[in-house]
Amino acid sequence: MAAPMELYCWKGDYGLPSVDVDCLTVLAYAKFAGAPLKVHKITNPWRSPTGTLPALKTREEGSLSQPSKIIIQLRKQKYNADYDLSAKEGADTLAFVSLLEEKLLPAVIYTQWVDAKNYVDVTRRWYAEHTPFPLNFLLPNRMHSRQIERLRLIRGDAILEPEEQLEKELYQDALECMTLLSQRLGSHKFFFGDSPSSLDAYVFGHLAPLLKIKLPNAKLQQHLNSLENLQQFCSNILLLYFPSDSREAPSRNTAVHTDAGDFDNEPHKRRNQILSVLFAVAAMLGYAVLSGIVTIHSSRSQLEEPRHDDGDEDDEEQE
Amino acid sequence: MSLAAEAFVSQIAAAEPWPENATLYQPLREDQILLSDCASSLAVQAYLRMLGLPVRVRCRANAEYMSPSGKVPFIHVGNQVVSELGPIMQFTRAKGHSLSDSLDDVQRAEMKAYMELVNNMLLTAELYIQWCYQNTAAEITRPRYSSPYSWPLNHILAYQKQWEVRRKMNAIGWAGKSLEQVYEDVSQCCQALSQRLGTQPFFFNKQPTELDALVFGHLFTILTTRLTTDELSEKIKSFSNLLSFCRRIEQAYFESQDRDSQSGALDYSKGPSLM
Repeated sequence: MAAPMELYCWKGDYGLPSVDVDCLTVLAYAKFAGAPLKVHKITNPWRSPTGTLPALKTREEGSLSQPSKIIIQLRKQKYNADYDLSAKEGADTLAFVSLLEEKLLPAVIYTQWVDAKNYVDVTRRWYAEHTPFPLNFLLPNRMHSRQIERLRLIRGDAILEPEEQLEKELYQDALECMTLLSQRLGSHKFFFGDSPSSLDAYVFGHLAPLLKIKLPNAKLQQHLNSLENLQQFCSNILLLYFPSDSREAPSRNTAVHTDAGDFDNEPHKRRNQILSVLFAVAAMLGYAVLSGIVTIHSSRSQLEEPRHDDGDEDDEEQE
Repeated sequence: MSLAAEAFVSQIAAAEPWPENATLYQPLREDQILLSDCASSLAVQAYLRMLGLPVRVRCRANAEYMSPSGKVPFIHVGNQVVSELGPIMQFTRAKGHSLSDSLDDVQRAEMKAYMELVNNMLLTAELYIQWCYQNTAAEITRPRYSSPYSWPLNHILAYQKQWEVRRKMNAIGWAGKSLEQVYEDVSQCCQALSQRLGTQPFFFNKQPTELDALVFGHLFTILTTRLTTDELSEKIKSFSNLLSFCRRIEQAYFESQDRDSQSGALDYSKGPSLM
């Protein structure tokens, strides 16, 4: 075990070590288990060995990208956060992870990627601002359509229902799920005793983005804020296991708040103005050239004329 | 549906008692129904029997297209049609029938979590083995699924369904799994259920809950359905407490009641027996 395994994740923001649910789950698990990983926080999924994030690059087994597989791989390397759990607690872990995947995950996908206002104002903007240049036009839209497709397939409907109906159903399930988790957690620090396990990693991964990423339509967030123990649970993990990320949060947050005002629209407006003027000029020139008001031939001869005088004799000599 | 309208409907539902002529619809039992649908249907029947609510079972070749959500089974009670176990549970609760009233908050949270475990792993594994494992899909699933339809509709519908299930597997990350891994997952799920059940008669002590109905529906169907290989049912048979759990529920809610009512073919809905 000379070289540590390498983990590729989405970059963090909003005081989170990563903005993505799956990446957060894996990062939290690795921290809980004390696995020495070399973490690459990147914003270009094409640079990951599997083309998706998160991805774990191992020597023996190639690259893995599903969170459950990554966790199993870490467990094989003896980095096991669930070592102390009894068989029944292990069974409970499996059950609550299923609950999260079936009930909460669809609502998280919905609130980040499908809800039009949240997607346009926050999610797409974040991914567009952070992914490198040519990809930033392509990637957010591709992720958007992929997430919608995923939601549709998880629900098993032929087409997604109209938004209001769908939102109501998903949120109803998700709110119930959060309440159940809160009841299960009770006043404990972690789900099973005093040390965190994989279930804590999964719950943290799903809840922390809801808690930290401020969205315009924040029904899930409001409900989560009313469940104090879950909120406390997430901020505890952030403080204990990701102190550097959570320390960045305040400065970052104020920046976001000032951004939210008119200041932020200004550069975009200016850029759009410049772009549209450029486009108009290009269109007019193009039209002029095509319709023969300005011909390329005449313009070239005009340009070449001064040079023509100098090079005239040389040309003649060569001939 | 607006909130006001929904409150109104649930009020009506609460006001009306459970009628004698409630009906449950499922696909044809002999030639058509698939393992996963059969399991869901049996879970609903077990749930209603545990509550003591009478329901007649009707088999219809087009049950899937009659259902409001496109999924079977569904029940027709009075003026209302409700499909799938989750909504049916809500519906009966609105009428004042529930199995989980005696549980405390933590137990209820655990019950819901284990129910999702069954949906997430057992049901998905059933779908995988039905539609994504070539042998089963070609020999059993597609012919059965398309049995009511004539050429060329039978092929079109069966492949359409298979395509849809495969895309779902892709979306939830099961597409890359091998059959062995799926069996491993089933085993893991049963291990969890077996741990949770322990030596108790039901998952939460003496009284059956929704979870018991759901687990019974799936395990019993897997145990009594013949597939191309026995491997799936063998996985369950290695957990003796789950086996005796299935027998116990079968005896308590299916055999005794069937014997009492002597209603013959209409109510005898479960198919083969474990004994």
